Amino acid sequence: MTETQVLLEMRHITKEFPGVRALDDVTMTVRRGDIHAICGENGAGKSTLMKVLSGVYPHGTYSGEIVLEGEEMRFTGINSSQDRGVVIIHQELALIPELSITENIFLGTEVMRGGLIDWEAARHRAIDLLARVGLDLDPNTPVKTLGVGQQQLVEIAKALSKDVKILILDEPTSALNEDDSAHLLDLMRGLKARGITQIMISHKLNEIAAVSDAVTVIRDGHTVETYDVVAGQVDEDRIIRAMVGRSIENRYPIRDPHIGDVLFTVRDWNVEHPSIPGRLVVDDANFEVRRGEVVGFAGLMGAGRTELARSLFGRSYGTWLSGQMELDGKRVVAPTVAKAIRQGIAYVTEDRKSLGLNLIDTIKSTIVSANLDAIVRRGLLDPRQETAVAERYRTDLRIKAPTVDIGVATLSGGNQQKVVLAKWMYPQPKVLILDEPTRGIDVGAKYEIYKLIHQLADEGKGVIVISSELPELLGICDRIYTICEGRITGELAASDADQETLMRRMTTTSTTASATHGA
Amino acid sequence: MKTIKQIFGGNLQQYTMVLALALLAIIFNVVSDGRMLTSSNIQNLISGNAYVLILAIGMVMVIVIGQIDLSVGSVAGFVGMVVAITCTNYGWPWWLGLLTGLATGALIGAWHGFWLAKIGIPGFITTLAGMMIFRGLVIWISKSISVPVPDQFQVLGAGYLPEWGPAWTGMNNSTLLLGILAGGWFVASQLRHRSHALARGVESPLWVALVRIALILAVVGYVTWLFGSGRPGTSFPIPGLILVALVVIYHVITQRTRFGRHIYAVGGNKAAAALSGVNTARTYFLVMLNMSFLAAVAGILFVGRATAAGPSDGTMWELDAIAAVFIGGAAVSGGIGTVVGSMVGGLVMAVLNSGLMLMGVGADQTQVIKGLVLLAAVAFDVYNKQQGRPSILGHLMRSFGRDATSTKAADREPQESVEVPAATGPVVDAADTMPETVEAARRES
Amino acid sequence: MKFRTASVLVTALAASLALTACGGGREGTTDDGASQMASGSAAAAEGFAPDATIGVALPWLGTQNWKEAEVMFTEQLTEAGFSPLVQAADNKVPQQQQQIEAMIEQGAKAIVVGPVDGTQLGSVLDKAADAGVAVIGYDRLIENTDAVDAIVQFGSVRTGELQGQSLLDGLEASGEGPYNIELFGGGPADPNAPNFFTGAMSVLQPKIDDGTLVVVSGQTDFTQVATQDWDNSKAQARMDSLLSGFYADKQIDGVLSPNDGIARAILTSSEQAGQDLPIVTGLDAENESIVSIAAGEQYSTVAKPTQDLVAKTVELIQALQKGEDLPAADETADNGVKEVDVYALSPVVVTLDNAAEVFADDPDRLALLEG
Repeated sequence: MTETQVLLEMRHITKEFPGVRALDDVTMTVRRGDIHAICGENGAGKSTLMKVLSGVYPHGTYSGEIVLEGEEMRFTGINSSQDRGVVIIHQELALIPELSITENIFLGTEVMRGGLIDWEAARHRAIDLLARVGLDLDPNTPVKTLGVGQQQLVEIAKALSKDVKILILDEPTSALNEDDSAHLLDLMRGLKARGITQIMISHKLNEIAAVSDAVTVIRDGHTVETYDVVAGQVDEDRIIRAMVGRSIENRYPIRDPHIGDVLFTVRDWNVEHPSIPGRLVVDDANFEVRRGEVVGFAGLMGAGRTELARSLFGRSYGTWLSGQMELDGKRVVAPTVAKAIRQGIAYVTEDRKSLGLNLIDTIKSTIVSANLDAIVRRGLLDPRQETAVAERYRTDLRIKAPTVDIGVATLSGGNQQKVVLAKWMYPQPKVLILDEPTRGIDVGAKYEIYKLIHQLADEGKGVIVISSELPELLGICDRIYTICEGRITGELAASDADQETLMRRMTTTSTTASATHGA
Repeated sequence: MKTIKQIFGGNLQQYTMVLALALLAIIFNVVSDGRMLTSSNIQNLISGNAYVLILAIGMVMVIVIGQIDLSVGSVAGFVGMVVAITCTNYGWPWWLGLLTGLATGALIGAWHGFWLAKIGIPGFITTLAGMMIFRGLVIWISKSISVPVPDQFQVLGAGYLPEWGPAWTGMNNSTLLLGILAGGWFVASQLRHRSHALARGVESPLWVALVRIALILAVVGYVTWLFGSGRPGTSFPIPGLILVALVVIYHVITQRTRFGRHIYAVGGNKAAAALSGVNTARTYFLVMLNMSFLAAVAGILFVGRATAAGPSDGTMWELDAIAAVFIGGAAVSGGIGTVVGSMVGGLVMAVLNSGLMLMGVGADQTQVIKGLVLLAAVAFDVYNKQQGRPSILGHLMRSFGRDATSTKAADREPQESVEVPAATGPVVDAADTMPETVEAARRES
Repeated sequence: MKFRTASVLVTALAASLALTACGGGREGTTDDGASQMASGSAAAAEGFAPDATIGVALPWLGTQNWKEAEVMFTEQLTEAGFSPLVQAADNKVPQQQQQIEAMIEQGAKAIVVGPVDGTQLGSVLDKAADAGVAVIGYDRLIENTDAVDAIVQFGSVRTGELQGQSLLDGLEASGEGPYNIELFGGGPADPNAPNFFTGAMSVLQPKIDDGTLVVVSGQTDFTQVATQDWDNSKAQARMDSLLSGFYADKQIDGVLSPNDGIARAILTSSEQAGQDLPIVTGLDAENESIVSIAAGEQYSTVAKPTQDLVAKTVELIQALQKGEDLPAADETADNGVKEVDVYALSPVVVTLDNAAEVFADDPDRLALLEG
């Protein structure tokens, strides 16, 4: 590559946190006009590298140099990097929900006239920017009313408002459904066509294959390798090998299922939206789970998967209208979460950080938190029993932590998820509902979670897995239900199903589509 | 250093606030020519602050669930007045007045709990209203006139344990007995702890246990002597005994019961707690009910000490209790804080108050100093947690506004690197120091 | 956590040393507190060392009279050879209880107590009695305990009578009746406030009954007219609403005000409402009100010369020191437990006419009158 092609060089970047070297002599080169993917396991140092680049960690807090267009940069903060056209969009969106799209886009760079904000001009510019990202929305709309996908686009519009040279996207599709993801990738290609260089952090190999021109793999704070992606082709195994430092022959464990009789049955289940009367989020659901069976629920985000699961779990979502549950042949009524747990139902949420964990808690008290009765001795909690239980799960589930006394917030996503799983295994449920159990965790940890799911099924439990990743469902489930607009639209044996069939049933209801979109 | 670590159980940081308290007492003792650590001063310190410390017990639970109770002073004043009026004006027997007072407190707590838990009015507003309502009621029912209480209450609020047995002990034998009981219990729990450690195969040298026991006995012995060797007729004060009993009960409730766990769960993440089967509304309700109940206890002890209930009793007590809780390590955003920590926080304030008075510093300057100490204690706590102590930082910062990007930035990467061996040390140390303190207190107790 | 320890200690010490450096007050207390405590309650009978520590516990320093008391006690006790220990309690009962305990601890031989609430010091003063410390109540009655040796005060009912009389005099001097008046009371939590009001009403009620005085709003109960916490702004708000509610078409002629701060609030409110300034009484002879009286705005105030009260108290302490009997009391008062000797001083009404005379010995206030 010639000098003119090179837009950005990061040379010998080393960044240390107390006790941890997060980046160790990382070097990376980005060409003008490329979409450059960075991949690596969680904790490998990708986000840290991008925070160094975008000035979140200012010059002086790391060693090494950043060269942009041949000139060494010494960013003092986000503002100084933005002035040079480096803009980062964080994984967690940084929009203010109560403000309108316009207000959000120009937050910090308000359009001023005579010392006051010129809202009229701002609105006109907002409309232009929204058009560039393919959003046809009133710029006065409050951001809180937008979906996650639309909010992501507003973030990009905000970035575009800043005369961007390098746009950094940190796992841009991690919260998006397939449609929104596809749209976003299209938009990235469009931006590239206009000469905006982009750096994308991603786990998703298919996305990397789809849009990127070059890939840099980082592992344990080191650059492992950088290579160009040949148009539309990417050697997934090579990337995975580079990421985890080993080769993964099969991403899904092999298992010989032992499926027994019917364990859990749901009949004529109807649930109304919690704040919009008359809108059904679950519309007449009927399904069953057998002993030792892993049942998948495939559906787009908002199709009603989570809503169904949470309504079964102590009616913790929506307004229950009608329907029955049978567990072990007996009718089960569980109007509260506590009762559901006692009856043998467990639900692992898709939103680990805000619904699954108390982040200031320790591993051990998290693990016992859904089954405190089990560690009560003579009316008091027994701390020794608690530690013993937690230690057992730490060993069994191979949770990477020195002791069970440390805070869950210090764990990686994969280990946090194992702690949550342990929490829900400890009450010995008969049915476990796992909502996106591998979201936001890396390849190696995913494999362990899959094995755990199979192990639970082999113990005779019924396991329900909700996932947006169809290969995952196909890889680990025995049977898959599809769900669309609150209705169950299909039931397939995993061996008979493929991604196309599932996707078709996930996007069409058998009857004419009504206006029921899940919340 | 290693030796010291072994004796104190590896993590010296958990003792720092206690150490600060002890140092403060010693320094004041030197500066005031030995007037700080005298029997009568320490007895006064406990009787004179028992009511704030009792409020702090309830307040730490309220703050852990992420709420605040501004009404405690007014409720304490109101209950004190109810007791005084029923006993003095209506001529009820003292015990009936006492029970009426406690019941009134619980009822007021249910009132606050109802608005918070069932209707969903934030605790700040519910109890701000309560603060006005009950202050108004005190003045209303008392017609602004102080009402004396029967002498039995003076025993509760300022009384001493009886004198009995041989005189050769040179101190109050009730206090001596309490000291022996406490010492024996500490020693027993040390031995039990050691035998459990050995059973688990943890190395636990005998000399460490012996040094610990010697230290504990020395401290307990000194405290016993301090309280027991005062003017004849004095002892460990009765309000102090009530306080100790409540601390033990509430320490057990918060650390060793399901309800206690629910409090921390609701305060740490309400949504996650609800999805773990915790009845969050019930938890809110009970914590508020309990707070006003304890405010009633505090109010009754206070009127006992004051010998009369006054129309302005309890003014600003809520702020003293809240300060104690925060100095004791609780987090504004909820989920963090312990009863024992709050007691230490309250005692730091009490020792400061007492020491400054002995030095002849006026109330005005004392206020300034107390304010600075509150700020310093909490500021350095926050600062400390920022120094490569990511786990709680993000949580704390969340309550201060939307500066999420930069703090989370500092958070995420190092958090995920538990695998890196070098990281384990600091990460473990940082793991929420307050539960550690409790752990220590429990071990010790 | 290490930082926290350090911070607590450093802040506490730095702040306390810095503040005490200018506060002083502890020097010269050479008595050993513990040994004194055991010496029994003979202090009053046998006298005590001429340089003994004398404690003075004041309720707060938020008004001029208490601040003056603090200064005068320090000066005059020092002059008399004692080691004064003067502290104020920020108007909080528990704070005052602890301060008195600390004074006993420091070996005070006599403690002068200006109580925040005279009924709530029982068990603390019992301790003082046990330690042989003489207790003199200052300015307010101390109730519910026999551990009080004497009270020095201005009669609060008497003060109220003077206020009422002064209002009447002012009105009569201003022209023919009937007069439209309004009544204000002090803080309902202060036991003096109802006494002031009772005293004033003993003079005013007959005139209200015979129609000379008309309380236009009809608010004549103490609970109706009380001013929460003696808060001037609350008084002003009440006056504002009285004027807009009842005096849209009337002139207000006089207002009974329980103290100077409230008097000024009433005057401000009347002025803003476009009323001619009414006859307003006051209490405490605060500087601002002296200026106001000199300017012909506030009609009168009642001076309770702190000087007299302090002088009388110091006189009693000196008698105790020598082991003499106290001089004969002016009266006794039932404090609920016993009849306490009361040395009652008479307050003085100050108007424009006699101000120069009253403050003849007070150069500061005299300067205000002339300025």
